[in-house]
Amino acid sequence: MVDNKKKSPSGLTPDQWLNLRKYSQLFFLILLLVFYLWSRREFYLFPGGGSGIKQKLINLPLKLDPLVMIVQLLASRTFLIGSLLAVITVILTLLLGRVWCGWFCPVGTLLDWFPFRSWKRSSPNIPEGLRGVKYVLLLVILFAGLLKNISLLFLDPITILYRTMTTAIWPALDQIVTGIELALYRIPFLGPAVSGFDSLIRPSIFPPHPASYRYGGLYFGFFLGIIALNNLAPRFWCRYLCPLGGMLAFLGKFSFIQCEITPECNLCGNCISICPTGAIQSNDHVFCDPGECTMCLACAAECPGRAVTYPARITQIIRQPYDIERRKILVSLGTAVLGVSLLESYPVSENKSPKLLRPPGVINDRLLSTCIRCGECSTVCPTNAIQLTVGEAGMEGLWTPMLIPRIGYCDYSCHACGQVCPVEAIPPLSLEEKRKQIIGRAYLDTNRCIPWADNQDCIVCEEVCPIPDKAIRLEETLIVTPEGEQKIVQRPFVIRKRCTGCGICENKCPLSGEAAIQVLLPQGHFQEISF
Amino acid sequence: MNDLSRRHFLHLIAASLGSLGGIYLTGCLNQEKLLTKSIDSEKISPTIFQPDPTSTEIPPTATDLATSTPENTPEPSPTIAYPNLVVARNGDPEEMVRKAVQALGGMERFVKSGDKVVVKPNICVAYHGYKYAATTNPWVVAAIVKLALEAGAKNVKVMDYPFGGSAEQAYNVSGIKAEVNKAGGKMVVMSNLRYVDTSIPKGKDLKSTKIYNGVLNADVLINVPIAKHHELARLTLAMKNMMGVISNRPMMHANLGQRLADLNSRVRSSLVIVDAVRMLMNHGPSGGNLADVKKADTIIASPDIVAADSYAATLFGLKPNDLTYIKKGKEMGLGENNLSKLKIEEINLG
Repeated sequence: MVDNKKKSPSGLTPDQWLNLRKYSQLFFLILLLVFYLWSRREFYLFPGGGSGIKQKLINLPLKLDPLVMIVQLLASRTFLIGSLLAVITVILTLLLGRVWCGWFCPVGTLLDWFPFRSWKRSSPNIPEGLRGVKYVLLLVILFAGLLKNISLLFLDPITILYRTMTTAIWPALDQIVTGIELALYRIPFLGPAVSGFDSLIRPSIFPPHPASYRYGGLYFGFFLGIIALNNLAPRFWCRYLCPLGGMLAFLGKFSFIQCEITPECNLCGNCISICPTGAIQSNDHVFCDPGECTMCLACAAECPGRAVTYPARITQIIRQPYDIERRKILVSLGTAVLGVSLLESYPVSENKSPKLLRPPGVINDRLLSTCIRCGECSTVCPTNAIQLTVGEAGMEGLWTPMLIPRIGYCDYSCHACGQVCPVEAIPPLSLEEKRKQIIGRAYLDTNRCIPWADNQDCIVCEEVCPIPDKAIRLEETLIVTPEGEQKIVQRPFVIRKRCTGCGICENKCPLSGEAAIQVLLPQGHFQEISF
Repeated sequence: MNDLSRRHFLHLIAASLGSLGGIYLTGCLNQEKLLTKSIDSEKISPTIFQPDPTSTEIPPTATDLATSTPENTPEPSPTIAYPNLVVARNGDPEEMVRKAVQALGGMERFVKSGDKVVVKPNICVAYHGYKYAATTNPWVVAAIVKLALEAGAKNVKVMDYPFGGSAEQAYNVSGIKAEVNKAGGKMVVMSNLRYVDTSIPKGKDLKSTKIYNGVLNADVLINVPIAKHHELARLTLAMKNMMGVISNRPMMHANLGQRLADLNSRVRSSLVIVDAVRMLMNHGPSGGNLADVKKADTIIASPDIVAADSYAATLFGLKPNDLTYIKKGKEMGLGENNLSKLKIEEINLG
């Protein structure tokens, strides 16, 4: 066995370093959850109270991600002060290598927790050349970003995690907790405790209304796929595919501190088999590729001869066959140009479907070149009104936010989406400004509306309309029923000019299925009114 | 080794699933009990004060008898007459509430020591502060909380279920949470679990619906509506305020007047305090326009919900019977809508 009691010059034994890394991973995963839960509550509970510093910090995990920050800067041509936070990660990588991947990245942490080692009978031989994929992905994303298309940012690990948590994990947890609550509530002595939990603790974890998101399985499947790839090789995603990993790998090549295997190495091969990213290779001698190394330090703990060191010095960059080269750059450029032109040749999102309602204050073109697809707006929307597009906005608009009033309405006293958007794709409006934004306009279907079609009072849409002067009014009409009876019915009608399209009328309409009042984009004059 | 641990793992899963299933089944059994219990309990909890519109007399308490001398009270059963309804005007909210409740015989008449009290203000939306008169005045609610606690209530819970925005948000925005917490009461987020199918034995149109059992189980329910405009009901007052304790509200609109009366025959308010400090004259129930708000500095208190609503209607220049639910409430025997038959005490603090 290896003597791991021997201390390294830093004063910690290799095992202690390994533990430190595990605590760091756990800590940052919990930190991400804390930020996630905080963002869910902060701005909708205290509307209008969002101060500048909170708004800049609340999406910290996304702002530390250099890939999304650089790409959105390229595409939107707008510099955001907050995106400077990503410089921290860049500097850290230039100093210490890919510590982001090994110590901080929550996706990497989850991948480390599902090694599938015990399941693996034989590991398939994956060609080393596959490592180049992450560079190609990175370059395609960067080039497409220059061409104002950032659709592929949905491949960024942090956005993947946020999206999956919001659309799949949280709604599922919500259902599970509700199920457990219902089961336990019926047990007499547990009843008060359960309802106490339900009204005291639950609201701080789950949204006020049961979380409902479309296609949760799709997002979860995507995430599950990434984890399942671990079956082929540990951290398959980080090694071969992750575009953020590609960017950090490129920077890591230049890092000041690198893993170095000294000539004292006795070629036992322990480090080669333990390395989770396969960064240590041997041809004529054993060496570590700093671009692939996540600084997890597992090799140092395994090395019997203390031949693994981490010297701090400027080293010469050794090129690997899978690194960025001219051919990859050209292929990526070609792919990006061709892909973007093909998408532009039939932009579905430009053919605005009248139901493609965007969050308050959003300008559609700007959204597509700014939105990083993290789904944070959808996370914080207390009514779940903000859902992610799947086909509605075309391929270029995949997983961008849209409002579906039948699922949720835009709360009159909430402006959380604009406050938490890390790239201001949804502008950070004050509550007063947000209340004036035209999301769409309500249109009444008199063929189905209860007072119009069935001569019965209903008034729900008028009652719930939050506009101070009411955008929906009632008109007392004397009608003769089919039975010949005279009757006064209050029939709703919409004063279009006052309507902001918040959708609470559509949401609360008591008809089953589609509502008799719907919020639609009024074509034409929408653009001039928009923010 | 591998096989063993897998088997062990499967055993564990089977055991935990089995026990979970067991717990669940026990729960199901209990659900039946719970349902029958709530359906059976037609009678209202005996400690709730049930208003009798025809009588203004209530029997004296033990202390009254002890302090009274034989000379003063020759009759074996002396009675004290309280007004049916008290209107306080032109004071600050807390003062008006205190004087009005005092004139009704003090909070001790409604809240006994150790009672669990629920206060139901109108916090229907999370949109505006109290100045917009869409939600009950925070100081009115706080004054009631204080009075109930002073009368010896075990705890005072304040709750509503807004239709616009979430409860937590509305409690903050309305300013009610801050005042209630200061007064020693507790704001409760109404849990979806606690709406139970409840039969309405006296109901003419509404025979049963899901009602919040925290309200049903309370010893004392104090109903604190704000007087405001509503397009269908014309006004939303105390009887309409009870919409907040049921889960299926859209169905109420089909026959609002009768169904509100039915609901109020099951969920009885021990004391009604109508907040007309600010009245929303138009564009209710959500409001949002200060021009629609009229400062009236008035508090109406009565144990008779129909009487309280009838008087409040006159503040808007309406007759009690202009509101269908008042008419239906009278028909159902929930209270008196003829103001000339009531003993009304007016207090002017100005």
